[in-house]
Amino acid sequence: MKIRLSPQTLLVLDAFLRSPADWKYGYDISRNTGLKSGTLYPILIRMAEREMLETSWENSEEGRPPRHLYRLTAEGVRFAREHRLTAAKGMLRSASLEGAEG
Amino acid sequence: MSPLRQLAQGLLRAVLRHSCTENEEWARAMLVEMDFIESDWAALWWALGCTTAIWRQSGRGLRRRFGKHAIHKEAGMNEGGKKAVGFLSGVGVALGVAAAALGVLFVMFSYFPFMQDHHVGQWFHFGVGIFIPETIFIVATIALWRKRRPMAIGILLVAAVSWVHLAIHFAHR
Repeated sequence: MKIRLSPQTLLVLDAFLRSPADWKYGYDISRNTGLKSGTLYPILIRMAEREMLETSWENSEEGRPPRHLYRLTAEGVRFAREHRLTAAKGMLRSASLEGAEG
Repeated sequence: MSPLRQLAQGLLRAVLRHSCTENEEWARAMLVEMDFIESDWAALWWALGCTTAIWRQSGRGLRRRFGKHAIHKEAGMNEGGKKAVGFLSGVGVALGVAAAALGVLFVMFSYFPFMQDHHVGQWFHFGVGIFIPETIFIVATIALWRKRRPMAIGILLVAAVSWVHLAIHFAHR
C-alpha cells in the first residue's frame, strides 16, 4: 500500500486517528485540518482507492440530503499509526540534530 | 439564496453533471457538504476547490487509462531499450519545440517581411528562436533529470547542438 506522505496527508491521517472509530464529514475534516477542499478531497480519494478509507452515505434526515462519511479501515489505521510514528521520529531526529548544531 | 451561493451551487452542479461515473459519488458528496457551510464566500471557495479536485481526478483517470498501454509496452523492454526510447523521446520533444519556434518565426517573417531587417525583428528572432526554446530545454532537463534521465539527456543534447550552432553563427559575424 503506497500513498505519498505529504504534510497534508499526515494532517488528514492525524485527524482520523484522533477518533478512528468515528465517521467524519468532509467539511469537518477540512475545518479541523485547515485544508482547503481542493487539497483535502484528492487525499481522501487516493486513500479510498488504496482501501485505507471507507466511505458511506449518512441516513438522511427529513428534507436534508444524506452526507458522505469517512472512516479509516483497519489497514488504514495501522498505516496511519505506523507512519505517524515514523514522522514523529523523523521530527525528533531533526530537532536533536539542530540542538546539537546549535 | 445569495448570488454567491447560487454561483457556488451552479458550479458544483455542473461538475456533478459532467463528472464520470467514478467521480460522481465524490462530486455529489462535495455538493451536499456545501449546504453545511455558513459563509457564502467560504461556500464559493469550497466549490472552486472541489471543482479543481474533480478536474485533477479526471485528469489522473485519463492518464491511467491512456498510460496503461504505454506502460505495458515499456514493461516488455529491457533496460537498454527503455533508455533508448526515453532518449529518443527527449530528442523528439526538443526538436518539436525547436520546430514550433522556427515555425512561429517563419510565419512572422512571411507576414511582416520588413521585420527581418528591423532591429525589433532581430530581437524577436533572438527571443522566439533562441531564448524561449533554450529556456524550455533547461527547465525540462532540470525537471526530468531525476526521474527520466535518458529523456533529459535527449533534450540536453538538442540544447547543446543549438548552442554550438549559435556559437558558430556569432563567430562568423
